[in-house]
Amino acid sequence: MTGVISGGGQWAYVAAAYGLTAVLTGAVLWTSWRAMKKAEKRSDALRRDRR
Amino acid sequence: MHAYANPTRFLAIAKPLTPWLLGVGLLFVLGGAWAGLAMVPGDYKQGETARILYVHVPSAWLGMGGWTSLAIAGLVQLVWRHPLSGIAARAIAVPGMLFTALCLATGSIWGKPTWGTWWEWDGRMTSMLVLLFLYAGFIALTSGDANGAGGQRQGGSLSRGAAIYALVGAINIPIINRSVVWWNSLHQGPSITLGGSSIDNALLWPLGLTVLGFSLLFGAIVLMRMRRIIADNRVAARLRRLADEEE
Repeated sequence: MTGVISGGGQWAYVAAAYGLTAVLTGAVLWTSWRAMKKAEKRSDALRRDRR
Repeated sequence: MHAYANPTRFLAIAKPLTPWLLGVGLLFVLGGAWAGLAMVPGDYKQGETARILYVHVPSAWLGMGGWTSLAIAGLVQLVWRHPLSGIAARAIAVPGMLFTALCLATGSIWGKPTWGTWWEWDGRMTSMLVLLFLYAGFIALTSGDANGAGGQRQGGSLSRGAAIYALVGAINIPIINRSVVWWNSLHQGPSITLGGSSIDNALLWPLGLTVLGFSLLFGAIVLMRMRRIIADNRVAARLRRLADEEE
């Protein structure tokens, strides 16, 4: 017995779980990186202007 | 610990650490996922769907671990007024919510082929959904600007209300953990305990890689978000100073 849905159909569920994890984790990593770089650039530029 | 309360000292460690956490975390996650998909055999009962374990368990661990860290940061903020603790709590909220949502989504995807249903209002799934709403509430409560609006004070630290909310929300963590013992559930009982694991070693080892890898990525996201908040606070402080000088 291999679950309610057996055979090759199971791989579609595995692919959906891994795909969703990759896309959402990648999106949060990318937006966090971009927001950090943008904020640090703005902070550095303001500090340079003050000098 | 108080030596690192200074954002400048914190940044001296966080800046070189961020790319290392990202790089090593990605390596572990990719290695663990490859092993989970291609190297280990399918489960004798659940077949190929058991491979969802390698993304579902790290998501559950980080969703719950994230709120535990957030509550500790809230406590530190309340008791010692540690300037970085409020910033850390705010930085943890988004990745914590991400992994809680991933835990629910991957669990649902796993449930359909094994249980025959996407969702069941049982103790484990409902308490995990409550955790997702707790994260959403915390983010809404602390999403004010760096000038003291919303659930934060100047400098990015938490308001008293937000810190208490983080502590009270922690009550849900042991409920999630014990839900499969206290109530009848479609969800399986605890497979990995302090006493050992009921999962065979042939299937277990890639889980160590993905749990460690996703934990390192979680750490990298938290550091990046803390660095962003600190930079925003510095910009806000400088603009305030400039405005004061012009008056």
